[in-house]
Amino acid sequence: MAATVDESVIEGLAKQNGVTIGRILGRGNVGVAEEGSDGKMHGTVRIPLDELVFDPGVLVLPHAGTLELEIINDDNNSHCAVLPCNGDAKFIWLVNFSKGRATLELDGPGYYWYGSRTGNDEGGGLTGTIVVGGEVPDEAKPDRPPQPRP
Amino acid sequence: MATETEYVDAGEAVDFRNLSPGYVGSAPPVTKGLGYDRILKARDAEPHNWITYYGAYDGQRYSPLDLINTSNVKGLTPAWVFQCGSMGMHSGASTYSLEASPLVVDGIMYITGFDGWMWALDAKTGAELWRYHRASPYDVRLCCGNVNRGCAVADGKVFMTTLNAHVIALDATNGKLVWDQPYGDVRAGESATVAPLIVKDMVIVGSSGGEFGVRGHADAFKLETGERVWRCYMIPKPDEPGGDTWPAEGEPWARGGANCWTTPTFDQELNLLYFNTGNPCPDFDGGVREGDNLFTNCVVQVDPDTGEKKAHYQYTPHDVWDYDSTMENILFEMDGRKCSGHFDKNGYFFVLDRTDCSLIRVVPFVDRITWGEIDSNGKVTPRVFPDKEGDPVHFWPGPAGAKEWTHAAYSPKTGLFYAPVQDVGATATRRRREFKESIPYWGAGVAVDTEDVAGYLSAIDPATGQEKWRFRNEHPMTASVLATGGDLVFAGDPAGIFRAFNASSGELLWQYTCGSGHHSSPSTYTVDGRQYIACPVGYGAWTEGFYPGALAQAGGSAVFAFALPE
Repeated sequence: MAATVDESVIEGLAKQNGVTIGRILGRGNVGVAEEGSDGKMHGTVRIPLDELVFDPGVLVLPHAGTLELEIINDDNNSHCAVLPCNGDAKFIWLVNFSKGRATLELDGPGYYWYGSRTGNDEGGGLTGTIVVGGEVPDEAKPDRPPQPRP
Repeated sequence: MATETEYVDAGEAVDFRNLSPGYVGSAPPVTKGLGYDRILKARDAEPHNWITYYGAYDGQRYSPLDLINTSNVKGLTPAWVFQCGSMGMHSGASTYSLEASPLVVDGIMYITGFDGWMWALDAKTGAELWRYHRASPYDVRLCCGNVNRGCAVADGKVFMTTLNAHVIALDATNGKLVWDQPYGDVRAGESATVAPLIVKDMVIVGSSGGEFGVRGHADAFKLETGERVWRCYMIPKPDEPGGDTWPAEGEPWARGGANCWTTPTFDQELNLLYFNTGNPCPDFDGGVREGDNLFTNCVVQVDPDTGEKKAHYQYTPHDVWDYDSTMENILFEMDGRKCSGHFDKNGYFFVLDRTDCSLIRVVPFVDRITWGEIDSNGKVTPRVFPDKEGDPVHFWPGPAGAKEWTHAAYSPKTGLFYAPVQDVGATATRRRREFKESIPYWGAGVAVDTEDVAGYLSAIDPATGQEKWRFRNEHPMTASVLATGGDLVFAGDPAGIFRAFNASSGELLWQYTCGSGHHSSPSTYTVDGRQYIACPVGYGAWTEGFYPGALAQAGGSAVFAFALPE
């Protein structure tokens, strides 16, 4: 039997130095990448001042493909990002108040974690996710009737 | 505030591999011109190489190299070690393991790792020539760990499967993607871990996902373009041959299992692939799938040109113990007869006539078998199995089997098979559940024994079925065996010890502690007249299934290359 959770506990998990030392992973805002006329998807994530998170923490791609990602560090500390990409991860160093870009190729469906590998930023909250929605192509599953899903 | 800030330009994110000291970025074009004809003659024409998964199409995992032999093996030391490490939050974060068999072509090694890694290494020095890392979804369904069993090479390309069920072709000189084909549905619980096989102008692969109620299949693609040639589903529809071995009601065939997650062997003269198929689904609840459940737990002959099934032999009809038969069918000749040898999870060693898959001999190869009995004619009599709901049943071997996927070897020099044996039991309690796509579909709760377990490396004569020698180990043997022309047999164990034995007598001749357990397939090659034994090391995967007593064994991610001092 668990005790009733006080609202302050929930709030304290979603900030720096609340209940946890950092911010517990998997929380934050959800954003959706926009699909451009070139077929590529475009998205932006920021690192807000003193929050040690990527915002949005969850960036959703409607389908597999190319993501043109802008990353903005609005924090007064240096961070970085090791980003998922087919072929090899992409790395970008982000000094205080900097802005950079990454071009990422990702399969779907599924989701990928990424993080800032400096100073245990990853544990402190600077671990984000890129979610790729959609279904696998029909040619990957020929002649299989639809099955019940959860 | 952000819009008013004068930002520093951080530029474009760079490839992470360029931040690795010593990274070269390219490899010599050694696989250009390497094709079917060379693979057919691999062992005899170019014994210095290991150019296909088992070393040759017959699956023997035997090399005629003899520079390292019984007289000098005691001098074996590491020539180099390659470490890849684990980075960030990846799928199967606690279960990553190196399970591959390194391929070597004229001094260049090609090897896959967990989580979508592929490397080309200098086989003489271990230097990293290039790498490719396929981003793998964190949430891809993996029954048995974040693993991959290896690659194939041909026609200037390297081929591998990915955790999210793609088969991809890379340029063998630089690791750049050439083509990419998804061939499984990750939303259904499918994945891919198999090492591809090149046959003629095709790359052959198979499915994983046997614990999620998928319909297992093998697939062939044009190696040049990735264009699909055929798909062969291993579970027939109701109106197809074998369809009457499944209930007519509902669609159990559509979720029936029989995945092909280890590499087939191939007989060029008969023009037949020998696929090894996995367990039926649900694994332990046979009540929802009455019948023999073809073609689960089988060796299935498949025509490589059409994908058509020919003959088959079912090792465990109506399996309710999770006794996949995905372990290899090794092709060999005996008294002028074309045979295949297979050590099944069910604890029996089968010798078949591979022309028609008829049984020649079946003998037990593990001490404890309680699930049932197979007589000398192949008649199967189940004795202990999860039948009543909620009633725990203990049986030997457990669901990882008396031998898991890790491969046996056969030496044509000694005429003996060498099998890594796991003597481990388990308790299963039937718990019927509704099928839902992507949710584990076992039909039982299962706990594998942590005590009273054993392991051994056994040398078995296929002509008699007799065990010629046995090396007893306190741990189950959970890695593939390598046999060589130097009268040696190599095998690793869960404690990290890599050993060499006299192939004829079983005498232990050499051992080395590698620091993490073995769950891979070592290979051998020469460069500039020096023989190496290549051994990927790094324990993990489905440890709770094959040896939960090793769950705390250190993870690792190294490739050792052993050689005699220069």
